[in-house]
Amino acid sequence: MTGKELTKLVTRLEAGEPLPAEFYARTGNARILGITGPPGVGKSSLIDRLIDELRRQGKTVGVIAVDPTSPISGGALLGDRLRMQRHSEDDGVFIRSLATRHHHGGLTDATPQIIHALDAAGFDIVIVETVGTGQDEVEVAEVADTVAVILMPELGDEIQRAKSGLMEIADILVINKADLMNAGTARREARPPNDGQKWERPTLHTSAKSGEGITILWGAIEAHQAYLVSSCELARRRERAARAEVIRLLQSRMSASILQSLEAPRAQNILTDVAQRKLDPYDAVERLSREVFGS
Amino acid sequence: MKRPIKVLIAKAGLDGHERGALVVAMGLRDAGMEVVYTGIRNTPEQIVQAAIQEDVNAIGLSSLSGGHMAQFTRVMELLKKENVKGVLVFAGGIIPDEDARKLKKLGIQEVFGPGSSIASIAEFLKKRVRPR
Repeated sequence: MTGKELTKLVTRLEAGEPLPAEFYARTGNARILGITGPPGVGKSSLIDRLIDELRRQGKTVGVIAVDPTSPISGGALLGDRLRMQRHSEDDGVFIRSLATRHHHGGLTDATPQIIHALDAAGFDIVIVETVGTGQDEVEVAEVADTVAVILMPELGDEIQRAKSGLMEIADILVINKADLMNAGTARREARPPNDGQKWERPTLHTSAKSGEGITILWGAIEAHQAYLVSSCELARRRERAARAEVIRLLQSRMSASILQSLEAPRAQNILTDVAQRKLDPYDAVERLSREVFGS
Repeated sequence: MKRPIKVLIAKAGLDGHERGALVVAMGLRDAGMEVVYTGIRNTPEQIVQAAIQEDVNAIGLSSLSGGHMAQFTRVMELLKKENVKGVLVFAGGIIPDEDARKLKKLGIQEVFGPGSSIASIAEFLKKRVRPR
């Protein structure tokens, strides 16, 4: 697949067209790395540095970078590529910016299919950068083999890191902008890297600005990938991803069909009754199920 | 769902004045477009490859440093060489009328000088971008 064929395929996938079956058969070879974390911690800049590291090793890299769609105008400012733009001329790197188009969860509707496209196109590593996340946008864990959650100094204490959601999906925790910390703090918080059977989530310190810690970060990602294979966790994660993808596609088809059925006058009357407080929402669902969806 | 117009806004060459380009990028965002902003000091090669990888409908080139003729000409050459079709190219910045005429001959569709309104740029794109 040439770069131009790939870019057109991604556009069609983004528009909701299905991935041609022959492409899916060619997937499963790329390692999928998820990069997530709050806005402004340096996710894109860190990816820019990781691309350097990977290219030095001769690996090819596909990047999907997601930024939010405006709830007001429907437009978007896609500003992740800016941090990696110097890799644009490299044939071994393909970067695509995507707007969420109102999808919640940190990615876009078509991200799983676009990952497949980059995988099928033969990239060794596919990096998925989520929107700047809060605590609960954890969808990236459904598509990535390894998830690195990027934070920065002074984002909160131990309790913040112990909370559910974003922190729990981290296979690797990265404190970027370590150049802003004093070295003593960095040393106190650092934990030893894991050894083998059970994955001990490492906390690493990096500076995308100076490049410090990037080789160690890549080492941790590789260690995690080795662990995924040796523990059979990779097969489990990929099965989970495949199931989640089918369920999501099914949900989106069914919800489209529900919305269409609700256009019927009889359904509209029921909805109006709820709005006028003549009917409660639960009874409305019962009646819609019986009278409109026939089950 | 109808695909929003996707635009690349870039500054070519050694030119660090990005306020105007950023204002245009934000204005087009507010007009409902998806804007890939690649910032300052892009090479023409980087701009064209980014436009291909992002599959944009339009490219907006900004220059305030006087390098527009060399830089923009090279962008147009590369687009031709890479056989990129259906991508509208427009420009903005400090560009003398005489140069603007030359750039239009090269295929740059419009040149927006100082004082151009964001609304006029958005209008232009909405009218001229080929639906696909």
